[in-house]
Amino acid sequence: MAGGNGHEHTKWVMVIDLDKCNGCNACVTACAMENNVAFTGEEENAYGRGMHWLRVIRYWEGEWPNVRVRYMPMMCQQCSNAPCEPVCPVFATLHSEAEELNIQVYNRCIGTRYCANNCPYIARTFNWFDYEWPEPLNFHLNPDVTVRRRGIMEKCTFCIQRINQGEEQAAAEGREVRDGEIQPACAQACPTEAIVFGNWQDPNSKVRQLAQSQRGFKYLHELGTEPKVIYLASEKHDF
Amino acid sequence: MGTPRSQWKKAVLTVVALVALGGLVLGATWLYASQQVPPQPLEFNHQVHVQQLGLSCLFCHSNAARGKSAGLPTTNRCMGCHVQLEPKTEAEKILREYFEKEEPIPWVPVAIQPDFVYFSHQPHVSKGIACETCHGEVGQYTIAPDLSKKQNMGWCLSCHKNLAPEHFTRLSSCETCHK
Repeated sequence: MAGGNGHEHTKWVMVIDLDKCNGCNACVTACAMENNVAFTGEEENAYGRGMHWLRVIRYWEGEWPNVRVRYMPMMCQQCSNAPCEPVCPVFATLHSEAEELNIQVYNRCIGTRYCANNCPYIARTFNWFDYEWPEPLNFHLNPDVTVRRRGIMEKCTFCIQRINQGEEQAAAEGREVRDGEIQPACAQACPTEAIVFGNWQDPNSKVRQLAQSQRGFKYLHELGTEPKVIYLASEKHDF
Repeated sequence: MGTPRSQWKKAVLTVVALVALGGLVLGATWLYASQQVPPQPLEFNHQVHVQQLGLSCLFCHSNAARGKSAGLPTTNRCMGCHVQLEPKTEAEKILREYFEKEEPIPWVPVAIQPDFVYFSHQPHVSKGIACETCHGEVGQYTIAPDLSKKQNMGWCLSCHKNLAPEHFTRLSSCETCHK
């Protein structure tokens, strides 16, 4: 909205520099805290019911003692051509035309889990139970994000609540959103600034410049999903 | 006098009627209780402040122009005027008690949105939408009514669909109001 400052045409993009990622998992923690992601515990995790909107994949390379590990943060890639969207029978996961994001409407979701089964990135997690936040843990719950109930699918939203608030703030001050003003929790927490978030439509934005790197690639792009997360390949893999 | 069979029938009918009556009474009580406004710590009268004294909504609910929540006035905001007034009514006495104890008044909000709804007052107020459009003629009420059942999604969309057709994509997009 915002009186024609053109943000109906924003396209949010994330660039992740795998050279800078040291696998510290700060992004995972920040994401869980920001988005009220439930802690399922060790046992549930072993059953494959762990809940993470963002996880760090490890790739081990080489033979002992010359072992090297590479990390790759993986979350919903906000595909332009998302495989999860057409399979939802109730349109609970759908494409936002305004933000060009893949959004999840929790109160519409009936928990068929078709979307998760169709996601090549395994980015979606399902609430198998009503998870509790015993006191004093309930104080960390973010009031800007719904606390999901049992039977509801959820996934990374690119911190849509922060995007909305940033845009609202900019609109109230009668200006456009500045580059770097809106940051998802993972990008904010990243100590090496490996995760950068911004508007693709702004030619001067940091993401636009980083994405021009020759190291840039999109994960599983051969599937034609057109992800909005661009990885910059690691250069240190020959050791 | 009737046959044993008709007496049996009569007894069954009486029991059925009694159960139905009991259910009806219970249902009516529940309906009545669910429609009651929640009890407030003191009976604030909007009519006196808005209609008789002509206060603007934003004088007390000043955060509506700036942020998500309209907010409730602090005890100090009330006492800005009431410090000059001799407390006469019960409500005024309770107000003064809270002021002297230096405690906030534990107001019970009546216009609460569900957990999955994102609503911010600021964009609505800055676009010049009058408070009465959504909250009704609060200035005529002596007790603020419960609006949570009236303010549903269809009701929001009745404006979002029509007011600004050029922003329809944005205003009807799920993530604008669902978080």
